[in-house]
Amino acid sequence: MSTSLPITNPPLVCWNCHERAVGTHFCPGCGKVLQLPQQSDYFAMFEMPRKLWVEMGSLEQKFLQLSWKLHPDNFVNATPEERDISLKRSSELNDAYRTLRDPVARVEYLLAIEEARKEGTTRQQAPPELLEEVFELNESLDELREARASGGDTASLMQRLEAAEKNFETKLNEVDSQLQTVAREWDKAIDGKSDQSTRKAVMSKLNELLNRRSYVRNLVVNVQKELL
Amino acid sequence: MGRIVGIDLGTTNSLVAYLDAPTGQPKCIPGPSGSTLCPSIVSLDADGSIIVGEPARRRLLTQPERTIYSVKRLMGRGPADVQSEVKLFPFRIDPASNHVIRVQLGDKVFTPPEISSFILRELKNWAEAYFGETVDRAVITVPAYFNDAQRQATKDAGKLAGLEVLRLVNEPTAAALAYGLHQKQRGKVAVYDLGGGTFDISVLKLISTSEGDIYQVLSTNGDTHLGGDDIDNLLQAFVHEQILQTDQIDFSPHGELAQELRKELIALKHKLSEVESVTLRFPLPNGKVFVHEFTRGAVDTLIATVVDRTIVPVKQALLDANLKPTEMDEVVLVGGTTRTPLIRRTVQEFFDRKPHTELNPDEVVALGAAVQANILDRGVTNMLLLDVTPLSLGIETYGGAVAKVIPRNSTIPASAQELYTTGVDNQTGIDIHVLQGERELAKDCRSLARFTLRIAPVPAGLPRIEVKFLIDANGILQVSAKDIRTGEQHTIEVQPSYGLNDNDIERMLEESIEYAEQDFAERQVIEARTEAESILTATAKALANPNASTLTAPECTKIDAKVAALREAVKGSDYKLVRRQIDELNQATEHLAEVLMNSALQTALEGKKLAEV
Repeated sequence: MSTSLPITNPPLVCWNCHERAVGTHFCPGCGKVLQLPQQSDYFAMFEMPRKLWVEMGSLEQKFLQLSWKLHPDNFVNATPEERDISLKRSSELNDAYRTLRDPVARVEYLLAIEEARKEGTTRQQAPPELLEEVFELNESLDELREARASGGDTASLMQRLEAAEKNFETKLNEVDSQLQTVAREWDKAIDGKSDQSTRKAVMSKLNELLNRRSYVRNLVVNVQKELL
Repeated sequence: MGRIVGIDLGTTNSLVAYLDAPTGQPKCIPGPSGSTLCPSIVSLDADGSIIVGEPARRRLLTQPERTIYSVKRLMGRGPADVQSEVKLFPFRIDPASNHVIRVQLGDKVFTPPEISSFILRELKNWAEAYFGETVDRAVITVPAYFNDAQRQATKDAGKLAGLEVLRLVNEPTAAALAYGLHQKQRGKVAVYDLGGGTFDISVLKLISTSEGDIYQVLSTNGDTHLGGDDIDNLLQAFVHEQILQTDQIDFSPHGELAQELRKELIALKHKLSEVESVTLRFPLPNGKVFVHEFTRGAVDTLIATVVDRTIVPVKQALLDANLKPTEMDEVVLVGGTTRTPLIRRTVQEFFDRKPHTELNPDEVVALGAAVQANILDRGVTNMLLLDVTPLSLGIETYGGAVAKVIPRNSTIPASAQELYTTGVDNQTGIDIHVLQGERELAKDCRSLARFTLRIAPVPAGLPRIEVKFLIDANGILQVSAKDIRTGEQHTIEVQPSYGLNDNDIERMLEESIEYAEQDFAERQVIEARTEAESILTATAKALANPNASTLTAPECTKIDAKVAALREAVKGSDYKLVRRQIDELNQATEHLAEVLMNSALQTALEGKKLAEV
């Protein structure tokens, strides 16, 4: 555990000993598990800065360490109040780990807590450069459904769709690698203590990529459903 | 506080186990017959008393309409869910059943949790007799793939049996705990658990940390309506069809004849795990005998569909854990049905690895439950279990679609928050429908609960209600709501879609007293007295033996005094005193027993010498 990391939680008062508690999870005064702070976030829970590159091994280790302490199994004989806190804390820990270990969910979460996530209308609209391919894909899907309904030949259509699926999966991989590149930009902005406007620009890029990703992913899922 | 036990509430058999402190190993507790298996069969006697286990099994043949088996298949289900399988059961579902199934036994109706509570109570009695202490807390196992309603029903059953259910543990996870303790395994483990009525597959990672061992479930999948019962059904349907053709006899599934045949076929199935062929000879009502030779190969073909159905969930679980079959370090077989050679072979081929079968597949789940019970009782010391929710949790959205808020295989406890507001001015309520399942439309998922958020009439969009969905460590949903503007907690009355509400449980708890056996202390007195009688008789007999004359006078006086003290204790109702006096008499007669043993041994040896001459 690094001590140089800032503890972003605001100080709160321990429910048990009423001392001003500065710990992340446990009261330094009486050792009791602390209530969730009002402005807690997943990064703070793991005592990590809000950066997008996460070392998976140490994330897992930290998760397991905290699980030992926060899991409800530890509180079976505790007071109902402590049991309730443990339940909330350990569910939050599990939610945090689930989110942070997934690279896409991590970006979405970061944007959400930075209040920069805008799903907006772009989610439903095809990105311009994809318009043509999406149009073709939808046509093929319609033809396939028609052919199925009328008992016509589907083999060639299936082939075409399989090719389209591969194409969009490649695009999905492209978006993912772009996302990684911009994620590194974000981390640099944090490390270099860049100003708010630089950060906002990076976040807006991330937001756009997420929308694009969710659009392409929907396409892939839809095609896969027809191909099953 | 009384003792804590682990209970495997199975479809076919149930077991109770505890952690033996001196050895640190879990142990199953035997019942009065000496067997650790309690058949999960309940019968209602004509006088209104409840009969459980082996005696109830015998009544399956004589009074099938008063006897129920495999009730686990009905737990947390609605009447519409079980239409196809009730055809094969001898008992009837009360036609008045609505959101909870009601089973007709004789002239009474019971819900599945009530029937399960009779089984739990029986096991509680076994454990109390074994310890000579009350048992009031338990860890109960459930199939990993059980949904919220099925879990809640199991918890209700525990409550009705007078047990505080400290935790519901998934059966394959419990098995992994038992194996882990037994063999100190590490790495990635697949647990294939095919029981009487349910199938589970769980993929776990066993991690050693400086604090101790963590059992982390990575993914789970299964089918809560797939098991040995289905093999029995296939065999039964096959024979019914044969007999219908050769002898024109149509079996009523509710009849005694069908139950008799089922019993024979189950025995035949068990034998076929040992030998290559078994011949069925079944006397028919027309005086003829139905004879058929079942070879293992033919039965394998007949039951292949059941075995194949297990492979789909196995593949899905591995996919979710992002692992290939060959990446597993260990494979463990659990559940009586995995004794079937075809299943062992199929699993071995799939994983390309010989599966573990060292622990008794009937007992291993109960043993694991006992390990977890011990962990909870003492607080986490050197073992921690991290399990997952088997099904995604979703909320019905506009147009009957489902928005997933907690994905399947999330480590539990897990939670999700959703923010709600109103769409029109002065709207006073928001309806929320919670579902479980993987499908995209609400109608294809399992409905868990519906509730209405009550809101003060204000302009549209002004309210901000945060609803928190939390799946606890038992895999059971809790819902709470908070008004973001005022910070006030909302109370939510959740009406379960399939299950008992608090009033039902309250009423059943009152009724359960009617069926409860004598209370613990009373039973203890009776048992202690019986034991005292037998030791007093044995002592009198030993003292009458001619060899007893070698005892010294003080020894005799001491024995006489202890005999008198025990006789006196038996007159009262302090069972602890009776037990103490039994122990003291046993101590006093130790030398007497030795003397008699030696002389008996001598006689035996002398006899041998004589014979040799």
